[in-house]
Order: sequence, then C-alpha cells, then structure tokens
Amino acid sequence: MKFIQSLAVIAPLALAPTLMPAVVSAQEYSKGLIDKGRYLATASDCVACHTNHAGGKPMAGGLAMASPVGTIVSTNITPSKAFGIGNYSEPEFADAVRKGVRADGANLYPAMPYVSYAVMSDDDIHALYAYFMQGVEPVDEKAPDTSLPFPMNIRASMMGWNMLFRPSGPLADDPKQSAEWNRGRYLAEGAAHCSTCHTPRGALMQEQKSRHLSGGQVGAWYAPDITNDKVHGIGSWSQEDLVTYLKTGRLDHRAQAAGSMAEAISYSFQHLTEADLNAIATYVRSVPSSDPTAVSSMTRFDRGEADNNLSGFRGKGFAAGIKGDHSGAQIFTANCASCHGFNAQGTTDGYYPSLFHNAATAGDNSVNLISAILNGVDRHTQDGHVFMPPFGDEANAVVSLDNVQVASLANYILRDYGNIKLTVNPEDVQVVRDGGPRSNIVTLARIGIAAGAVVLVAVLLLVGLLVRGRRKVADLKST
Amino acid sequence: MVAKTSADVVIVGTGVVGVVIAEQLLDAGHSVLMIEAGPRVTRAEVVENWRNAPLSVKGDTSVAYPPRPWAPHPTGAEKPEDAYLQLRGPDSYGQTFIRYAGGSTWHWAGTSWRMTPEDMRLNSLYGVGRDWAFDYDTLEPYYVRTENKLGICGPADPAQQWPARRSAPYPMPELPFSPGEVRFTEIAKTLGYNNIPVTQARNSGIPYDGRPACCANNNCVPVCPVAAKYDAETALNRLEKKGATILVDSVVYQVETNAQNKIEAVSYFDQHKQSHRISGKLFVLACNGLENPKLLLMSKNDRNPNGVANSSDQVGRNMMDHPQLTLTVTTKEPFWSGVGPVVNSGIMETSQGDFRSQHAGAYFRYNNFARNRFVTFAALKKGLVGKALDAEIRRMTACTADIVAAHEVLPDANNRLTLSEKTDWLGLPKPSIYYDVGDYTRRSAEVYSLPIAKRIAEAMGAIDVKISPKFNQSKHIMGGTIMGNDAATSVVDADCRAHDHENLFIPGGGAMASTACGNSTITMVALAIKAGDAIVSQMRGA
Repeated sequence: MKFIQSLAVIAPLALAPTLMPAVVSAQEYSKGLIDKGRYLATASDCVACHTNHAGGKPMAGGLAMASPVGTIVSTNITPSKAFGIGNYSEPEFADAVRKGVRADGANLYPAMPYVSYAVMSDDDIHALYAYFMQGVEPVDEKAPDTSLPFPMNIRASMMGWNMLFRPSGPLADDPKQSAEWNRGRYLAEGAAHCSTCHTPRGALMQEQKSRHLSGGQVGAWYAPDITNDKVHGIGSWSQEDLVTYLKTGRLDHRAQAAGSMAEAISYSFQHLTEADLNAIATYVRSVPSSDPTAVSSMTRFDRGEADNNLSGFRGKGFAAGIKGDHSGAQIFTANCASCHGFNAQGTTDGYYPSLFHNAATAGDNSVNLISAILNGVDRHTQDGHVFMPPFGDEANAVVSLDNVQVASLANYILRDYGNIKLTVNPEDVQVVRDGGPRSNIVTLARIGIAAGAVVLVAVLLLVGLLVRGRRKVADLKST
Repeated sequence: MVAKTSADVVIVGTGVVGVVIAEQLLDAGHSVLMIEAGPRVTRAEVVENWRNAPLSVKGDTSVAYPPRPWAPHPTGAEKPEDAYLQLRGPDSYGQTFIRYAGGSTWHWAGTSWRMTPEDMRLNSLYGVGRDWAFDYDTLEPYYVRTENKLGICGPADPAQQWPARRSAPYPMPELPFSPGEVRFTEIAKTLGYNNIPVTQARNSGIPYDGRPACCANNNCVPVCPVAAKYDAETALNRLEKKGATILVDSVVYQVETNAQNKIEAVSYFDQHKQSHRISGKLFVLACNGLENPKLLLMSKNDRNPNGVANSSDQVGRNMMDHPQLTLTVTTKEPFWSGVGPVVNSGIMETSQGDFRSQHAGAYFRYNNFARNRFVTFAALKKGLVGKALDAEIRRMTACTADIVAAHEVLPDANNRLTLSEKTDWLGLPKPSIYYDVGDYTRRSAEVYSLPIAKRIAEAMGAIDVKISPKFNQSKHIMGGTIMGNDAATSVVDADCRAHDHENLFIPGGGAMASTACGNSTITMVALAIKAGDAIVSQMRGA
C-alpha cells in the first residue's frame, strides 16, 4: 500500500507535474471507510460491467456491451495511473460517477448509470473513492476503446442530453415515509439503479419518468414491470418474496433472474445486508404504476399448467415430428424436457423451473422467453451456479436452433404453458438474436444532421453564389 | 468460398481423439481440416431417435444412430452374413461404434479410469504381454490435462481414488451413489472390497466448460440429452469458431505416400461416390481402432506393400478389448439402481496383483441403469396385466441387478483385423476380425473373477443368478496400431507417430500396448494430447 502511495505522489511529479491533479490521494484511508466503499461498489454493481468476465481482471474493463446505439466497451476503473483512474482526484471521481464527466472533461455515455448515481451522497462518494483508490488492485492494462457510429461518437452530444435528463443532485428524504423506505429509495434509485433497466426509455434513450419502473427493454432481455400493480407488476409479491428473489435470483413457480438481472443478483444484491434488501423491497413495493390495472386478473406468475403433447408425434420419427403440426412440442421434447420435465413441470427443488407459473413464459411480451432459449441462463448465488445452456449461435449451444424452430418452440410454450395471447414469429427471434431492438436514435440523428446539412449546403450555395457573383464582378473588373 | 482441398494438418475422424488434437493445433495457430465419414446431426435428433424407438430395441445403441449407406457401422438388426464386421474365431469381436460427427463418445458411459503404473509394465513385472514405451509418470500429466479437458469428476479422498498416484485434483467432485450402489458398497465391504466412485466425464452437480450439470436422466447410453456428459460433438461448434473446417459424409479410403514415403494426401468418397483428394503437411488418423487399421491396410502401395505404416506387419494385429461377463442377480430385498448415471461405481483393486503372471485381473461393477427397461418383457411373459403387471415390473426393477466383471486381455498377434472380400455400399472392403480372448483371460474367469462375482451375488442375498454364457465385448477397441519403441514390432512410437512415416500420427486406443481392466477412453485422450504436443512442436520445426 505504501508503495502504491509513494508512486501516487512521485509519478505525477516526476512525469508530468503540470498534469498533476489538484488533490491526489496521499492519505491512507481507514479500513472501515474502504470497506464501506466496497459495499457501495457492490450495491452499485460496478464489477458487472467493468470486468471482462471471460478471464479479465476485476474492474479492469474490457467488457463489450450491446446497446441500442452500438457496442460500448467498459473502461478500466482500477487505480492504475496509466490505464485506469489512478490519477483522479476525489472531485473528478465524483463528477464521473454523478455527472458522467471524465477527468479530461469528456462526457461518458449513459450506459454508465450516472443518472442514477447522481443521487448518491458526498459521504458515500467519499467512501467509494477511498475503495477505488486503495481497495482495488491496479491493473495496468488498457481496455479497448468504444467506437460508436456517427454521430454518437461525438461525446459532446451528451452535454445537451445531460441538461435535459440528468438529475441535479441527491434526493431529500421524504419525512412522511419511514427511515427504511427512505433508505430503500436511496439505494434503489441510486446505487442499485433499478430504473436504468426497469424504466422504459424515450426517443432520446432517456428514462421516461412518468412510467417509472414499469418495464423496459435491455438488450436481448426485457426488464419487467416492477411497480406494485397487482397484474402487470409485482404487487402480488410479499416483502419476503422480493427479498428472497433479490438474494437467490428465483422465486419458485414464479420467476427466475436471467440476463442482466442474473448478473445483478450474482454480483450485487445477494451480497447486500438483510436490512438493505428489506429497505429496497419496502421502497420498490411502494412504487405505483402510472397505469394501474383496474380489474384484477391473472398475473404472469400464475398462468399455465402441466401438460404435454406427446401423443401427437411420439413414435412417428423426429423428421416427421419436426415438420408436422406438433413441431413446437417435438422441439420441446427433444431439447427442453430432459431438464424441465415432459410436462414442463420442472423439479421439486426448483433448480429446473416449471415453465408454467413462470414470468418468462407468461409476461406481457415474449422477449425473455426467446432470450432464455437463445442465450440460456447463468447465475451464481449461495445456492450454487444456476446454468441453462444456450440454444443460439454460441460455441456451447447444446443445439443451435434456427429462428423458425425457436419461434415454433416459443409458440408451443406460450400456448400450453404461458401467455396464450402472444405469438412469436421468426423475425422476432432474429431481433433478440441480434441483441435486441436497435434504437432509431442513430438514424434520427443522422437524418437530423442530414437535414441540417441540406440547409447548410443550401446556405453555402447561396453564399457561394453571392461570392461568385462578387468575384465575377471583380473578375470583370480585373480584365 | 474456396474449395477445401488442403490444410496444415488433416485429421481423419471427428471423435474425441480427433477433436482434442484439432483444438491443440488450432490454438497453436495451424489450419485444420477434419474429415468425417458419417453425418452431422443434432443432439435433439439423436435423443428423439432413441425415445421413439420401441422398448425391445432400446438396448441397441444404433437405433439412435442409424448408419448412412456410405458409412456403415455395426447395428443390432444386421444379419451376420450382411454384417459390417465380419467376425471369425472362437470369440466374437462384436464391437459397437458409430460413424457420426462426434464419434462414439456420443454413446459412451463416460467412465474414465486411469491405468496404474503396474498396468503399463506387464512384461517386466509379470512376464506377460508388453510393456509400454514409457512409464506411468510420463503419462500422468496428460491424464491431468485430459481430466480438465473433458471435465472428469472424481473424489478428493485418496482412499477413493484410482490410482491415488496423481499430481492434481479432479476438476469436479464425485457424483453420489444410487440407493442400490450404497447397498452394494456396504456388501462389498463385508467381503473386503472397496467399491469406489467411478471417475467420469460428467458434470457432477455443477456446470463445467459451458455445459450444464448432470440432471440424472440415466440415459447416458446412448446419449446424454443435455450434454452434461462430455462427448466430442460438444466441441465441434467451438472448433469451427476457432477456424476448423469439418467435412462430413466423406469417407476416406486411401492414404497416399510420396517418394520420401511421407504422407502426401488422403482421398475420400463423398455420398455420391465421387472421389476427392485432400493434401496437407501432416496427417492424423483418428477414425477409431477398427477403421484406422482398415484404412492403413487398404492404402497399400508399391513402397508399402503390406499397407501404410505396416513395415512391422503389426497393423490390424493385437486387437484387444475388455471381455466381460455379466451376472444378472435377482435379490429378495430391493436394491434400486437408476438414480444418477448408468455407470457410477466400481471395484478396481481386483484388477491388480501378482496373480497377473497367471491370469487376468478383473474390475467389478454394479450397473446403475434403471432396470425397468430390462425387466418389462420378463414381466409381460408371465402373462400379467393391469396392476399385477405394474407391481411385478416394479418388483423386478428394484430386486434385480447386473454385476459385470470386466477383464484385461493380452496383445496377441493372431487376434487380427484383415480386409474381408465382402464390400460395403461404396465398394470398400469390410473389416474381418479373428478373435480369441485367450487362456489368460479365460483362466481368470475360471479361478478368479467368476468366483469373486458369485461371492458378491451371494452376499447380496441372490435368490437367482444368471451368468452370461460367453464373454461379451465392452466396445473398448484397442491394439490395432500398437505402440512401441521398436519399429520392428510396433506401428507407432511413443508420440503415436508412425515409425514408417514422419508426418503421420495414429493416436488413440489402437496404440495401447496393454488394456488393464478400466475403460480406455481417458488413456486414448491422454495419448492424443501427448501426440498433439508432439505435432505442435514438429509443425514449429517444419
């Protein structure tokens, strides 16, 4: 630690005195403060994005993440001076976390959830800074750069966006609510950044505050409605249900965490204190839907029942089965039933969930069903490593199902076990296979710029004509 | 797309030996082209082939893998005169293997017993058989790499390990015993035998290498429906993503040598009987212990009149296996096999001892296949119907068991694969195999293995014991391209390189100089990885 500290002092002096930040972490932070920062970093799930989980070092970045506007690569946030944030002063660190502005003044993309972190208190930022400077191993490796398509590659474009959509600062406690609720809101809206995924985005990729936590698309997955609406949200869950889900990533016969939520459970929620999980649950369970369901009806957690279609094709041969009316059931039996059961009933221990009474098969859209088929499920909790292999294009796909097969399988599952009102077509599967719908913001921006360019060209032409006209006059004069 | 007609390394066969070497070479930066005689199918199709098969033929693994006309392999339905394997001699070398992309690990049980130091020195220690070209400690690091590569689970307790001499832990813990195995283990203990967990290429309760945990479907044979058991098919997509080219439905029928007697090319027939030629810098034959010697013999030319790699006249000789005898035991008390994988424990210590100067050792196992599939027809024959039939099937499922004694066999030059005059669909000769398990193994059954097995059956409280009348084959094909340091008496060297051709490698079971009693795949793969290292270093020098 001392060695690192002395470097921290000497390196800037020796190498680039003029670039030396105003305050460098010369002091040694207390273990208590660093531990507090570590806990907050866990609550903020920094490691999920800032680590390449295929063999990369913690917080060293390099994870490529699909976003609606292109692939964003996470940065090295270890205290490496050459490649990380080792030269950041605490105010610079605070600005990066809460305002999305790097030490060099460039804007971060809001893939970094600074819009949520904006509410974090100065004290917590201080602890986070202490942890990142002295509790994280520096990794002297450069993470690959992010290069988004034009015009998103112009980071300054975020300045206007920030003016519109970035909150101004920490939330004031609501005196009408309990301390637990206020703590829960602080964590859920801040560090845990629930709304980053669970709130739908508008045309400019901003969170639509009017539809807070009512469900949003996240890459290849759909973060469902977690308002307290009894039908579309999780209003049917008890406090204990939600705490259990956050701890384990599953509620038997209701829901399992996959995709980014599996990461959030694996890296973040399961490590939080019982008190904080209860606080988060208390707050989240109080968030109302902007469009509450008037009449109570079946939720996504209790649709469907045990059933099979084996008599339709068994004994006729795979080639016949895959072609006929029962192709979805045939694909299910061949690929899914060995774990989920011939009746899709799952196992009694819940490791293999039933496919009825299951949020993934009975939600308001089919995105998570398609995504689970294509991408599988991968979750590490105290219960062990929950892993469903993928059936997409991956090297470890048990079978690489094509779009027609996935659609056929999904439709069988929806019809027999899930939300019978939904239908999947092969194009829907391709969208998920491609990592989710693309935002048209790039196209819109390009059109906007093109439109601007047309105006500009017109102006230039006009100016040009005028100039040429003058030149002509001049030319005439000179001859 | 450019026609695929050459690569740095050409590998014939896409089974476990071929894919392990292919990955080593791809990782070292070499181009790899693999040629597979049979089709490439999805796991879904194989699973459903098996589930759609009537109960009466479910024991025949080929129902899940019907052979293509151009790539025949043995099936339960074939008549002896039309059979792909033409069998001769006092014992039947009736093997099961499949010519499909991914090879026969599709339907292996996953059992992965290492050899012991003694198993590799039969001649020095007991004056029988052959010594290996190297000792156990030379092979040991390759066993470790195999265990990590395939994902082999096994116990951490040295008292439960076979053999305990090992330099690294298993990547996963052992699987728990079924109720029947728990009982069997207790009973074996009373006789002084230690029934230990099978080390097996199966994800024991945790995912491994991107494959899921075993969920106990208990149909490892003929296929793991979820790929929790390692099979070579699970590697094919990955190899392609790393740049391998895999040709399927392409039957290699000739290995071509040049003036320096190096391998120049191989030729194959496609499914339309059109011939194609593939050239390369180095060649690996990894198309099974029967197909390798057959191909070498078929490729004879003026420079190699006995066949390629056959100046020793040992190609196709020393065909070995693990001759096994099964005791089907009916007990009074229920045992219940069937929870977990189909082979999950065994008694290995009985494979070792000074008696090996006189007769073979044996490995005993309590098969953990769920019994209902085997007993249903017997229950039906009793004329029962309705609840009485259900009750009888249930009773027999619980109260019957198979105890298998698997023996070692010595290499014998007379146990020989030759080319039959009968030909297959493409007009290529069928393999003809003469086989006699030999006095060494027969004597074991008489004075050693059957007496032990009968004592175990008695201790289990058997009220009826049926013993298989003849030795059955274990489908562990070994010996046909035997390894040795002397080019006059062996086909390949210590790296599985052909003595006669410096750029030809023939790794796998064919190279094994002794069989021991445990299943051969782990040793085949260890030899493949050793050969892969040699190939990588040879290519670097090239």
